[in-house]
Amino acid sequence: MTSRAPRSPSTARKGGWARLSTVVVYAFLAGFAVLTLFPFLWMVLTSFQTPGDTFRIPPSLTPSLLFSAHPFANFAELFQRFSFGRYLLNSVFVSTVAAAGQLVTCSLAGFAFARMRFPGRGLLFGALVFTMFVPTEVTIIPEFLLMAKLNWLDTYLPLIVPSLMVGAFGTFLLTETFRSVPYGLEEAATIDGASPLRIYWHLFMPVARPALVSLFVIAFIDNWNELLRAVLYISSNDLKTAPLGLVSLQGQYQSEWTLLMAGSLLSILPMIVVYLLAQKYIVQGFVTSGIK
Amino acid sequence: MKSRFLIASITLALLGLASAQTLRYFSWEPNITEQTNALIKQFEAAHPGVKVQFEADPPNQYWPKMSALAAAHKLPDVFYMSSGYIDEWQTNGLLADLQPFTKNVDWSQYFTGVLSTARFPHGANGDLYAVPIDWVGPVLYYNKTAFDKAGVAYPSANWTWNDFLDAAKKLTVRDANGKVTQWGFWAYGRYAHIEPWVFQNDGHILNAARTRIQVDANATAALKFLADLVNVDKVAPAPKLMSGVNQQDVFPQGLAAMWVDGSWNIANNRKIIGDKFQWDIAMVPRGPAATSDTAYTWPDMMAVSANSKNKELAWEFVQFMTGTARPADTYLAGTVPFAKATEEAVLKSDASNQPAHESLMLELGKLPSRTTFTPKWSEWRGYSAAGGGGMNGELDKVFNGQESLADAIAAFTSYGNQVLARVYPNP
Amino acid sequence: MRYRRITPYLFIGPMIVGLLVFRLIPIVASLAASFTRWNVFTAPTWVGLANYRAMLGSPDFWQILRNTGVFALLYVPGTMGLGLALALLVNRELRGVTALRGVFFMPYITSVVAVAIVWRWIFATQYGVLNYLLTRVFGMAQGPSWLGDAHYALLALAIVYVWQSSGFQMLLFLAGLQNLDLSLEEAARCDGATRWQVFRHITLPLLSPMTFFILIVSLINSSKTFQVTYALTGGGPQNASTTLAYAIYQNAFVFFRMGYASALAYALLVVVGAITLANFGLRRRWVYHDEPRAS
Repeated sequence: MTSRAPRSPSTARKGGWARLSTVVVYAFLAGFAVLTLFPFLWMVLTSFQTPGDTFRIPPSLTPSLLFSAHPFANFAELFQRFSFGRYLLNSVFVSTVAAAGQLVTCSLAGFAFARMRFPGRGLLFGALVFTMFVPTEVTIIPEFLLMAKLNWLDTYLPLIVPSLMVGAFGTFLLTETFRSVPYGLEEAATIDGASPLRIYWHLFMPVARPALVSLFVIAFIDNWNELLRAVLYISSNDLKTAPLGLVSLQGQYQSEWTLLMAGSLLSILPMIVVYLLAQKYIVQGFVTSGIK
Repeated sequence: MKSRFLIASITLALLGLASAQTLRYFSWEPNITEQTNALIKQFEAAHPGVKVQFEADPPNQYWPKMSALAAAHKLPDVFYMSSGYIDEWQTNGLLADLQPFTKNVDWSQYFTGVLSTARFPHGANGDLYAVPIDWVGPVLYYNKTAFDKAGVAYPSANWTWNDFLDAAKKLTVRDANGKVTQWGFWAYGRYAHIEPWVFQNDGHILNAARTRIQVDANATAALKFLADLVNVDKVAPAPKLMSGVNQQDVFPQGLAAMWVDGSWNIANNRKIIGDKFQWDIAMVPRGPAATSDTAYTWPDMMAVSANSKNKELAWEFVQFMTGTARPADTYLAGTVPFAKATEEAVLKSDASNQPAHESLMLELGKLPSRTTFTPKWSEWRGYSAAGGGGMNGELDKVFNGQESLADAIAAFTSYGNQVLARVYPNP
Repeated sequence: MRYRRITPYLFIGPMIVGLLVFRLIPIVASLAASFTRWNVFTAPTWVGLANYRAMLGSPDFWQILRNTGVFALLYVPGTMGLGLALALLVNRELRGVTALRGVFFMPYITSVVAVAIVWRWIFATQYGVLNYLLTRVFGMAQGPSWLGDAHYALLALAIVYVWQSSGFQMLLFLAGLQNLDLSLEEAARCDGATRWQVFRHITLPLLSPMTFFILIVSLINSSKTFQVTYALTGGGPQNASTTLAYAIYQNAFVFFRMGYASALAYALLVVVGAITLANFGLRRRWVYHDEPRAS
């Protein structure tokens, strides 16, 4: 956060007001943070409880396992009984490949949609945005039949390839981002004889870095959370993803809550890591791109 | 990674070639995967050359997956089947007729009261299309500690609805401000809360052919009794008062002293109640119109795909998995194994746990059973993700005091008959 | 810009192939399915417009459509307002702001199961946090049944969905804010413009392409709500909180009426699609773009 404006004279004059508004801002932020953190905190505490601790009135928030001989019993059970480590690695693999792939296909397409005029542009862009409106629930069975025809069942291909090739959200996002790049820069580069690929890579990609990084985060999370497709396409235990491992902790009549929460906690950790790493770049994006 | 799924695909292809001796088996019980794998090992050891491929997804994921597999003509040889869906799957020709294989079965070893659901046409003489794994049925749960405190005698076999109402009144405890701290009873429009009372009053909500909704006088009387418990007698909370609390936690958390729901809740009760209070189960009280008890019991089953190339082997596997080989501790408390010997083992090992009268399930198993399952049951009844609609939703409106019972019956009858007319154009 | 004719197609090529094969084939199939009776596990039968006729003749459909509209009116402004507010608040130099950005993002990734349990506590009629505050602190006689009363259920769900997606919105707005050319803002501030004036006349217009994008995405997301609804109200009481997306799920995977579910999906598509097209049409009015000087 080095790019904010320095304190202007007008703020300095109204010093009292500024201080008060800062207090209000902090109070709001803190209140919202509590509301936001509470479910997460509940997950953490429940991961350190025994099944008997959960669901009492008033709810027990004591992480009783922490004071026992096996504080990490729930996590240990996940890894030993359910090969949860394997599921996590599988999810990291699938989500990373799909999200990284999306950055390439979406930025290429977004660049063309934003900065090139060609016959069919409106139609194709419309078709792309249109696909976002169709609920997966009604397309998933035809899609399943297609994947069965392609002989892709019980592989990662149905989880990765479509997502990697058609990121409608990502293309839309990057199209909008590229649109706001000043035309002057592009013109200058074209006059200098730079190839389209060079312009795309050296001019547009750096400028769009905050959007690209955000897209990676969102695509990673979306792919990570993909449950319906994982259920339908994956059968082998070795190929299962983390959400698939998690639902298997839910039974017909009752669920293993403490394990479920420990598993949920484990499976959001990679997303937190990706987000925290990304945040640095989102915020630095403007500064390093050097467009002023 | 890539080579791994290549290998996986090749392995699958090879297994496909050798499919003469491969059985694919799907269940919705991922929670007992290790025990299932152990059973499969036993079966494979007894059948050299046979390989069983096993996969399990919980019910919410199981049904979409099975439907997709059916659409792609890739159904596994053996798979779980529920009472709610068997009519639909059987009428669409997806299940193998198992009747020819049953000649040597000694049915006296099993709880045959629930077989009717698996036979087509339903009843004692239909052909068998699935084999029960276990079965369940609603019972009356009651808080013994609360009964003792209120000085009320525990429910007995000859309890009438008036006795029940009296008890519920005494068990409804109010604080100084008149606010209820403990309700006598808890129910809303859910199938396992309502139907037991209807059947125990010898009522029907379907016509004889089970092709239309038709609420008879006995059923109406049962619904009125339940609605009055909430709106007139004020011994049970309106469902909206309990929103935000898991319905199955109301009784074990001590918010209501009596409750009628499926026997599988024994497991949840044990976990939540612990030793906070004493509780037990009893028969749902019989209504004034009934002269004998009618149970509401239904099985979870195992079926064989109509397209299986190994029906004989599949049948052997089904028999093995639903028989006495499966250990007693793999059955959730309150679900009764189909094999009587296993249930006896369950009761023995459960002897020191609450409820004291778990053996009530044996009596339930002897009674004639009635159900309301039809094709599209979940739609007209309002079940699972549709629990907010259908008959369930209309009854909730009655319990919430927003609709008269007559209007609700008219509404869910008309809605249900529209649904059923899609399956049975003629009643 | 002047590019060779083939160039744009090379850039969009990979995406177009995927679009045709993996998206349009299933979409066309599902559109066709909307004219059939199809329970998924057996072959579909052609029924012409019967599904659409049944849909338009069903009082439930109109109620669900109304719920969907009301929900969108609560959700879209709510989530965008909150998302923008959070983004602006954390796009500044406050101590601990990096941590806050992480904290605000949490609802977007926290497991729905945990989210549902905690919001149940908040919304419970008798033992809920919210009603406790309303009765004890604000002296109301009795708090409403947030999840069990037809008047409040949809509102309660909208609150949770807004809360849940605010982190996602914040992330996008933040990316938009970080893309802005700040020299203009700085210049304006030096010229004595107030914070509000700068925001209103410089930041907001500059941010408008991103705002436009977020608006469309929010509209789409408002028509895709399922998980929280399932966990909190199940669409009840008596369909009061059932939206079209929820009804589509019910029909597809509980009732196995894939044909009818598809018809509902295309009805939804017509409605949301029309609103989106209108927005694309209005876009010139309020979305700021640098224009090519000569082309």
